[in-house]
Amino acid sequence: MQATYRIDFTEELKKCVKCGTCRSHCPLFVEIKGEPGSPRGRLALIKRLHEGKIKPSQELANIVYTCLLCKKCAVECPSGVISDEIIIAARDYLNGAMSQPLIKKALLKGFLTRPSLLYACMSLTALYQKTGMHSLLTKSKLIELLPEKINACAKIMPDVTKKPARSRIPAVTLPKGEKKFKVAYFIGCATNFIYPEVPVAGVKVLSHNGCEVVAVEGVKCCGMPHMAYGETETASELAKHNMEILLKDDYDAIICDCASCSSTFKEAYIHLFQEGTKEYEMAQKLQAKTYDISRFLISKTGIKAGDKTVEPDQKIKVTYHDPCHLKRGQNVFKEPRELLKSIPGIEFAEMKDADRCCGSAGSFSIMHHDLSMKVLDKKIANALKVNPEYVATSCPTCTMQLSYGLRKAGSGAKVVHPVQILAETYM
Amino acid sequence: MVPREKLVADMEKMFGQGKVLKSELERYTYTYDSSFASQSNEYYPDVVVCLNSTAEVSQLMKYAWENEVPVTPRGAGSGQTGGSVAINGGIVLDLSGWKDIVEVDDANMQVVVRPGIIHAELNQELAKYGLFFPPDPGSSVFCTIGGMVSNNASGLRAVKYGATFQYVLGLEVVLPNGEIIRTGGLKSKALKSVSGLDLTRLYCGSEGTLGVITEIRLKLLPKPQSRGIMLALFEKLEDSALTVLDVFKAGIIPSGIEILDDGGIRCANMFKPDLNIPEVEAAIFFEINGTKPAVEEEGRQVLAIAQKRAKSVEWATDAERMAKLWQGRAVIGAASARLVPGKTRIFAGEDVCFPISRVPEALRRIKELSKQFNIPVVIYGHIGDGNMHTAPIMDPLIEDEVERTHKLAEAIHNLALELNGSTTGEHGVGFARAPYMEAEHGKALDVMWAIKKAIDPKGIMNPGKIWALGRE
Repeated sequence: MQATYRIDFTEELKKCVKCGTCRSHCPLFVEIKGEPGSPRGRLALIKRLHEGKIKPSQELANIVYTCLLCKKCAVECPSGVISDEIIIAARDYLNGAMSQPLIKKALLKGFLTRPSLLYACMSLTALYQKTGMHSLLTKSKLIELLPEKINACAKIMPDVTKKPARSRIPAVTLPKGEKKFKVAYFIGCATNFIYPEVPVAGVKVLSHNGCEVVAVEGVKCCGMPHMAYGETETASELAKHNMEILLKDDYDAIICDCASCSSTFKEAYIHLFQEGTKEYEMAQKLQAKTYDISRFLISKTGIKAGDKTVEPDQKIKVTYHDPCHLKRGQNVFKEPRELLKSIPGIEFAEMKDADRCCGSAGSFSIMHHDLSMKVLDKKIANALKVNPEYVATSCPTCTMQLSYGLRKAGSGAKVVHPVQILAETYM
Repeated sequence: MVPREKLVADMEKMFGQGKVLKSELERYTYTYDSSFASQSNEYYPDVVVCLNSTAEVSQLMKYAWENEVPVTPRGAGSGQTGGSVAINGGIVLDLSGWKDIVEVDDANMQVVVRPGIIHAELNQELAKYGLFFPPDPGSSVFCTIGGMVSNNASGLRAVKYGATFQYVLGLEVVLPNGEIIRTGGLKSKALKSVSGLDLTRLYCGSEGTLGVITEIRLKLLPKPQSRGIMLALFEKLEDSALTVLDVFKAGIIPSGIEILDDGGIRCANMFKPDLNIPEVEAAIFFEINGTKPAVEEEGRQVLAIAQKRAKSVEWATDAERMAKLWQGRAVIGAASARLVPGKTRIFAGEDVCFPISRVPEALRRIKELSKQFNIPVVIYGHIGDGNMHTAPIMDPLIEDEVERTHKLAEAIHNLALELNGSTTGEHGVGFARAPYMEAEHGKALDVMWAIKKAIDPKGIMNPGKIWALGRE
C-alpha cells in the first residue's frame, strides 16, 4: 500500500502491540463503543488493508474517517504508534482507490485551491447571512428540514465577513519602536473569511512587540483539509505553491495564528515529499521557520502589553482551550497561557481537560454532527464550570465549535484568540 | 450450531441493530487481544453483541443455551492470552460499554460496579471517598474490572495487597443456562463470610468459562495518607533481587517493588525522556505508603538497605516525580516495543511467577535463554512477589524470528515450572497457556474440568480457554 503522504506502513503498523491503551484516550471511542470505533480497531483494519487481506470499501472508509485526528492516542501510545499519521496516509490511499463524491472534489480541488472561487463562495455565504435568510430559516425552524449536513453547517457556521482579513491588513506593517524581527504573517482561510479580527489583532500585537510584519500575498490554503480528506496530491501542490512564496524572502519567522496551519507547515509538509528533493529541503526550512504566534511572542520577542485595561475596574476571567494541533502537534500549551496571564486585568482560570478535543476537527462537526456534539458537550460543561467571560483558543475551527457550544448552552461567554485580548491593551 | 445469518438476525431481533456488530470488518476487530497467539490466528466470532443489562445478558445466555452457541465474554480486550477471543466462533459478548458504578458504600468500605468500568476510573471516583481498590495492574488506564476479576489480575501492588480475588466480596453471575445467581450472599454487605462453598473465589480467574459476571461487589481500603517512591539502580541484575530479599528480611513490606532491566530502562527513557534513568543492569522501584511518619521511616530503612548494593538511590515524595516514575514503570509492557527500531515486542510467555528465593536464578536463566534463542528480552515486573514479565523483542514478519520466539516462550514457561513457580502469575491461561495446564496441575486439572462440566455441561462458555479445545 502506497500513499502520497509518506509513511512506512509496514514499519509503523508493526509497532502496535494491540495493548488497548488508546481505547481510554480516544474522545470518540467513549461515545461510540465497540472495538471498530477504537484507534486500535482502525489500525487493525488499516493493517489488514495494507496486507491486501481486505479491499477498500465504503464501510472501511467510514471507520477510517471516524477519527478526529486529535493525536491523543498517538501521544499516549507507549509503543510509539503514530496513529493519526497512519490514518491520514490510509485516507490518502483510500482516496486514490475509491471514487469520490463530486461535492468533495469540488470543495477540495476547486474552492480551497482557488482563492478567487473561495472568495466568491464566502461572499455568497455572507449574502445569505446578511439578507436575513439564515435568520428566517432558523427562527421558522425550516432549517431543520435541510439535509442533515447542510443543516449542521448552517447551525455551526458563524457570520462570514464581506471584508476578509487580507483586505484589512497592509502589505507591510512597521514595528512600533525598535525593529527586532521581520516576519511573514500567514493568514489562513478560516481567519481570513470568518475571524478577520484575529490576524488584524495578531499583526497589531507583533508590531507592538518589535516586528515588521509582512502580510504575505498570493498564498493559498495550507492543505490541511485536503490531507484530512485524503486529497494529498492536491495538498502537495498547495505545499509547493505556499513554500515558494513563504521562503522567497528571508523572513526571520513565518507566523500563524491558526493551530492547523502552523501544524501543517511544521509537521505535515515534510511527509509530502521524497527525502533529498528540493521540495523536501524547502519543507524542512519551512518547518524550522514556522511559529505559532504565542510561541513566537513568548520565546522570541517577549511580550510588553499596552497600557489600556481590557475592562476598566474589573477583572476578566479567561480560560483556555488547547487546540489539538497546538498542544499535541507542536507542544505549544504554556505559551498561550503565559500570554494571557501577561495581560493586565485578566484572571486566568484553568478548565478541566483543557486539552481534550472539542470535536470540531475541521469539518468533522458537520460530517459526523451528532458524534461531534457529544464530544463538544463535555468540553462546554468543563469550560462553564470555571464561569469564564472569555474562552480563549488558537484555532478558528475550535472557535466555531466552542462558540456554537456556548450558544447552545445559553452562555454569554465569548470565544477569542489570545492575541485579540492582548491587542486591546494597545492604544 | 445456528447458521451465522440466522444467529445475526436473532441477535438483532432480541437486542436491536445498534447492539450487534456483524460485518466482516467489525468482527475482525474482535479476533485479537494483546496476545501474539490471537494475532497470529484469525478467530472470527460469528457475531458481536454489546450489552449493558443483566436481563439482556440472561436473555442472550438462554438463547445460547438452547441453541448451543458458544459465548465469549470480553472487556477491553487487553488480555495477553487470547482469553476474550472466540476461538470456537459463536458470540462475543462485549461488556466494555457497561461501566456503571452502582453504589459506593463508603460506610461499609465497598463498591458495587458493572463489569465494564475501567480500573483507573473506578479509583478516581473512590478517591473522592478516601477509599481505593488496591490491585494496580499496569493496564489500569484501560483494563476493565470485569476482566480483572475474570483473570484474577493483580499488578504493581500485589506484594502488599495481593490479587483481585482478595477484594471480591460477591458477584452477580449469569449462568450458562441464563439463570442469575448472586455469590457471597444474596443481600450480604459483610466483609467476611465463610457461609458455604466459596463460589466468589471460584469465579475469580475462571476466565468466562463458568458464566458471565454482570455485577461485582468489591472490598475497598482507606487510601493511604502518604506515599514515597525510591528508585535504586544496580550495576548487577542479581544484586537487585538480593536487595529485595534484604528488605523483606528487615520486616518491611513496601506497597510495590518493581524491576526494570537494562532494556526496560532504555524503553522507559524512550517513552518518557524526562525520566532520564541512568542505564544500568537493573532499576528497582520501591513504593512505600502509609502515614507520613511511617513512610518516612520505612523509606529511610529501605534506603539504607538498598545503598549496600545499589550504585545510586533516589527517594521521591514529590507528586509529579512519583507519578512519572510509576507511570514510566506501568506502561513498560507496551513501551518495550520501542527498544529496537524495526522490531516490536510480543506478548508470549510474559508473566511467569517464581518463588521469591529463586528470582535471582530465574533472572540469570532468562537472560541465558534470550542469548540461546538470539531474541532480546526485556525483563520488568513485580519482583517483590516473583512475578516477572519477559518481553521478547522481535520482528513478527520474519518467520525464523517468530519460530525462535515461540521456542523461547515455551522455554520460559518450562523454566517457571522447573523452579517451582507458575506459568502465569496474573494474566491468566486463555488458550495461549492451555497447553501447560496438565504439567502445572496434574490430576487437579481433571477436578477443574469436572467443575466446569457441572456448571456448563454444554460447554458453551468460552470454549478452548484454560482447557484446550477438544477435551472431554
